[in-house]
Amino acid sequence: MIRYFAAAIPLAALAAPDFDRDIAPVLARHCLQCHGETVRMAGLDLRTTESMAKGGSKGSALKPGRAEDSLLLQRILDQSMPMGPKKVAPGEAKLLREWIDAGAPSGSGTLARASTRHWAFEPASRPAVPATTAPWAQTPVDAFLASAMAAKGIRAVQPASKPVWLRRVYLGLIGLPPTPAEQDAFLKDSSSAAYDTVIEDLLNRPQYGERWARRWLDVVRYAESNGYERDGTKPNVWRYRDWVINAFNQDKPYDRFVHEQIAGDEIEGSNADTQIAATFLRLGTWDDEPAEPLQDRYDQLDDVLGSTSAAFLGVTLRCARCHDHKFEPFTQQDYYRTLAVFTPLKRPQEGRTESDRLVGTAPELAAYNASKQRADSEVAELDRKIERTRQDVIRQLLKNRAKNKIEPDLAFLDHVETVLAFSTPAAQRNKQQKKLVNEFQERLDKVVLAQAEERERASIIAWRAEKDTVNASRMPEPPRAYIWTEEDTPPATRLLVRGDPNRPGAEVEPGVPAVLGKPGAEAVRARSTSGRRLWFARWMTSESNPLTARVIVNRVWQGHFGEGLVPSENDFGVAGQRPVNQALLDYLATELVRSGWSLKHIQRLITRSGVYQLSSGWDAAAGKTDPDNTLLWRWKPRRIDAEIARDSMLAVSGSLNSNMLGPSVFPTLPESVLAGQSQPGLGWGKSDKAEVSRRSVYIFVKRSLAVPELEALDAPDTTASCEQRVVSTTGPQALVFLNGAFAHEQAKHLASRVQRESGADTREQIRLLYRYVLSRPPTAEESADAAAFIGKQADGLQAFAVVLLNSNEFFYWM
Amino acid sequence: MADQFCGRTRRETLWQMGGGFAGTALTWLLAQGGFFANASPLAPRKPHFAPRAKRCIFLFMYGGPSQVDTWDPKPMLAKYDGQPMPNLDGDPLLKVRKPGNLLGSRRKFTRMGQAGIEVSDLYPHTGAMADHLAVIRGTYADSFAHGSGLLQMNTGFIRQGFPSLGSWVSYGLGTENQNLPAFVVMIDHRGGPISGPPNWSSGFMPATFQGTQFRTSGEPVLYLQPAPGVSRETQQEQIAMLTRMNGRLGAAGPENQELAARIASYELAFRMQSTAPEAVDLSHESEATRKLYGMDQERTEKFGRRCLIARRLVERGVRFVQVYSGGGHGDDTWDAHGDVDKNHEKHCGDTDLPIAGLLRDLQGRGLLEDTLVVWAGEFGRTPTSQNKNGRDHSPRGFSTWIAGGGVKGGQVIGATDDFGYAAVENKVHVHDLHATILHLMGLDHTLLTYFYGGRNMRLTDVHGRVVQQALAA
Repeated sequence: MIRYFAAAIPLAALAAPDFDRDIAPVLARHCLQCHGETVRMAGLDLRTTESMAKGGSKGSALKPGRAEDSLLLQRILDQSMPMGPKKVAPGEAKLLREWIDAGAPSGSGTLARASTRHWAFEPASRPAVPATTAPWAQTPVDAFLASAMAAKGIRAVQPASKPVWLRRVYLGLIGLPPTPAEQDAFLKDSSSAAYDTVIEDLLNRPQYGERWARRWLDVVRYAESNGYERDGTKPNVWRYRDWVINAFNQDKPYDRFVHEQIAGDEIEGSNADTQIAATFLRLGTWDDEPAEPLQDRYDQLDDVLGSTSAAFLGVTLRCARCHDHKFEPFTQQDYYRTLAVFTPLKRPQEGRTESDRLVGTAPELAAYNASKQRADSEVAELDRKIERTRQDVIRQLLKNRAKNKIEPDLAFLDHVETVLAFSTPAAQRNKQQKKLVNEFQERLDKVVLAQAEERERASIIAWRAEKDTVNASRMPEPPRAYIWTEEDTPPATRLLVRGDPNRPGAEVEPGVPAVLGKPGAEAVRARSTSGRRLWFARWMTSESNPLTARVIVNRVWQGHFGEGLVPSENDFGVAGQRPVNQALLDYLATELVRSGWSLKHIQRLITRSGVYQLSSGWDAAAGKTDPDNTLLWRWKPRRIDAEIARDSMLAVSGSLNSNMLGPSVFPTLPESVLAGQSQPGLGWGKSDKAEVSRRSVYIFVKRSLAVPELEALDAPDTTASCEQRVVSTTGPQALVFLNGAFAHEQAKHLASRVQRESGADTREQIRLLYRYVLSRPPTAEESADAAAFIGKQADGLQAFAVVLLNSNEFFYWM
Repeated sequence: MADQFCGRTRRETLWQMGGGFAGTALTWLLAQGGFFANASPLAPRKPHFAPRAKRCIFLFMYGGPSQVDTWDPKPMLAKYDGQPMPNLDGDPLLKVRKPGNLLGSRRKFTRMGQAGIEVSDLYPHTGAMADHLAVIRGTYADSFAHGSGLLQMNTGFIRQGFPSLGSWVSYGLGTENQNLPAFVVMIDHRGGPISGPPNWSSGFMPATFQGTQFRTSGEPVLYLQPAPGVSRETQQEQIAMLTRMNGRLGAAGPENQELAARIASYELAFRMQSTAPEAVDLSHESEATRKLYGMDQERTEKFGRRCLIARRLVERGVRFVQVYSGGGHGDDTWDAHGDVDKNHEKHCGDTDLPIAGLLRDLQGRGLLEDTLVVWAGEFGRTPTSQNKNGRDHSPRGFSTWIAGGGVKGGQVIGATDDFGYAAVENKVHVHDLHATILHLMGLDHTLLTYFYGGRNMRLTDVHGRVVQQALAA
């Protein structure tokens, strides 16, 4: 658009600006989202000269002939409008001034008739696949890109070599490099299906879920602690991580994927698994000692609303908390109507301690509770019997003791405190008494059994056996999950004036942002919840919702190419970036829905394409027209994610532990890292070497502590949804991989692995090192250089392994 | 500056360190890619207007020092010692904490400096520098809790996830020495503050702007020295090999800058192995200097060392240095719930001489005129008692001070009520303090923005005003 205006200005200079030709595009671009057909902030409608002159609550916006006095121009010149980051260009402002000074002649009225709606707020329609003759173009995905390139006179570069493609698709789909054997298999396969075979193989591996779950965990602000002062551990959050991994591996339909995370407790067929999915809503930071509890309550709800709208809808709705959104067509009313979907949520907690919940289907939970109650009461009855008998024996013992017939083993009973501790019912014992009982219980039991009458002894033994039987036959406890509960009666939701919880305004009903269409019929109360979230989730995946499918296919695209087709992945709004190829985006979005919301289908469409095979070579002509590669005429190298780097190091060194799922692991952290905590080591567990060699997705995510290898490579901040990783290149980062303990350990394992597998010949060792680390053999020059280096150093092979593991080629997706 | 990292460029922010050196191995790459043409995010940047302070040392008294025992004498409090605090209903958030009765300060206050500012006997040395200090007696904040209070004093927000003051300053101004971090944090020898690293996090900004923890002896930065068994010569060979290997890979697109930056980062890592230890190496500091900071005495040695290193860092071009007093929990911090005199005698005693030494040393080296020194905790303490002789947290009114570059010293700004509980006159919220610090460093807090999550974020959110009274003419 900027380019368009650059071209339009000289034309316009020839004559007075024309409304339809010169002014309407400026208004449409900058103003009408908030002052147009759908939304009229401050009551102002800028679609016609009449409505401009009429103005809004701040008075008339247009004084024909007097540009300086017209609010329309004033607000633009003082940069207070438009409110977003995109400002009106000086050339555009000049047009407006000239137009007003020329008396602001009206146009044909097309602006008023034309839809002024934002592209992303319109449902995606199925675009026709364009015809193309580009030799590299193999699939519909390619056709869209090739036709956009042709329109700009750009030609794509040549395809990449087979080894480069193989490494690319391995890192892309499973986040690990191909082994030498896998490299051989692919290079030997000269059939036309060779590429597809690899793709299918990778999509069926469990590592696919581990790699893609991590992408999703970024989006949902995943962490396992609360943040803030105590940064307490959120129990059982890892179950949600496992749910995500499994969902990707099972190719859970994306609509269902959405429903379960928003409303897994309300959904039809709700079970342990779907309820665990709803952990999504509770992943945010939590202040267990809030400065102002009411404010904090709304901060928590804002986190839920903000994360939901960013992750699934790609909009910045949370900006409308204190006032109408300043540059999106979202009103404060929209915010609070959407908030009402979540206000019934209640945090299960006791003071600063949070509770998790048993999860399962209603019959499962009922059966478990009944069985538990039954077993508990049976055990209690047996305990009572045992205790009664024991007390009899003890009484007798004490009586005997008075007669000096005490056993030496019972000397501890000489202390009044001890006797008191034992005679106090278990529930009422204080700390000291509990300690005493713990200390002497075993000894006392022994004595009791020894001193009891035969009949009593037999009874106690029998009851105990019975107790063991009851306990052994208990139903196993269902899993626990870290999810919200709901109020029995949904509380009234009120708009808060300026977002201030102490200034409640009018009551609002649950709803969705008006500009995004209408939800279905009203929420239906579920068994124990309001049903509002399920109703909302269904709206998100309904046909009329313009965003949900586009947002997720864009995320998948970004996971491969580094940039989404909409580069602002969490902001599809007016202030966000426009799609670089909307037809392709809409094609993928409609394909997703047509395939039954299969993400693996989208993965296939992308990885089987010709564009996925393009090399990272540079083309001077194309580079001149499109230096940023927005048209995707080449593969743009980019750094691999922190987890892929760490996992790849483990994989090539041979130490990767491929065990999946389960509670998180705790790599050993350097003392100086722990020293940053107010209680060094608090909340950081210990795991053995095998456990810490598992994939990075299993590392405990603690909000106040970072693992150096991941932090150095820009692991995401977990406070809010992270749409895309930052890439920073720093000196401390180099130190972590050049000198850090982890990198050195992997280099050591790698060196000995290579020695073991390739024998004593240095050239063979170098060759294998290259194949492991870079998925290709070295050139003659590289091999000679490496050999010279290794010959000069002590532990040369290991020192060289460090170099390879630090190389750009290892760290970059080429 | 506002949109520098939003949109397409936000993820391509590189600490293209090495911008200031000539790594000969790179010359061909640099020439080819215009490596120097693209300013590094940490390259020195022009402020919004002429700065009065070019660098800042922030002395953080973690735990919350009591204002009425240090910088804010309250005769009325002594007079009503032991009486209940009136009008508790006016502050429900204090009331729920069940404050004890008023507790008069046991400290003796004397007028110090030409300006005659009243300072308690806990600060004989710093008090002697009163003519340099602007004591802000009407500071106030929003949280009664350490965690959120620390976050607010550091990031402006009581919630986690926002960039810290040091990050904003690094983002706004870059730094003068590309061989050291822009923003250095030295925690207390007893541990970190509550909430830990989020206190110096860059929040939603790239990690480039986050505070780097410096240890005050040995290896100041994590993994600075080669791994055990690797000699410095081998390391040098490794970097040379890496540079050759990366050079062969080349890359013709725009990412050649990114790749070149990675090469440069290794060169820098290698150089940091000498620059960072040099910055914390005090062996060349004179006996007199060490004494100035109290390094000759056991109790002041540790904080004195941190202060002296802070001076060495700003001298070497580091933009923002934060030094903590107090670490871990309880009386290892300023959190004087049990016995305020005992607690503060310890912490003031540990820090008074070093702080005065820092001010004197900066002055002697001509650095004080353009170095801003800030002294603050996350909040103050109640005038009421807790556990008999202790005091509880209070954010309603407390003392902080600023000194040095652009600050009009020798004055008191604002006041608390008769008992020293709440700020009542010329109130200065944390946002205002932040706005003032940025102003002194040449940055307009309303213009220093970062586009994130759909809006232009600021250190001061939608608040903040510059405390004009604090500014030197």
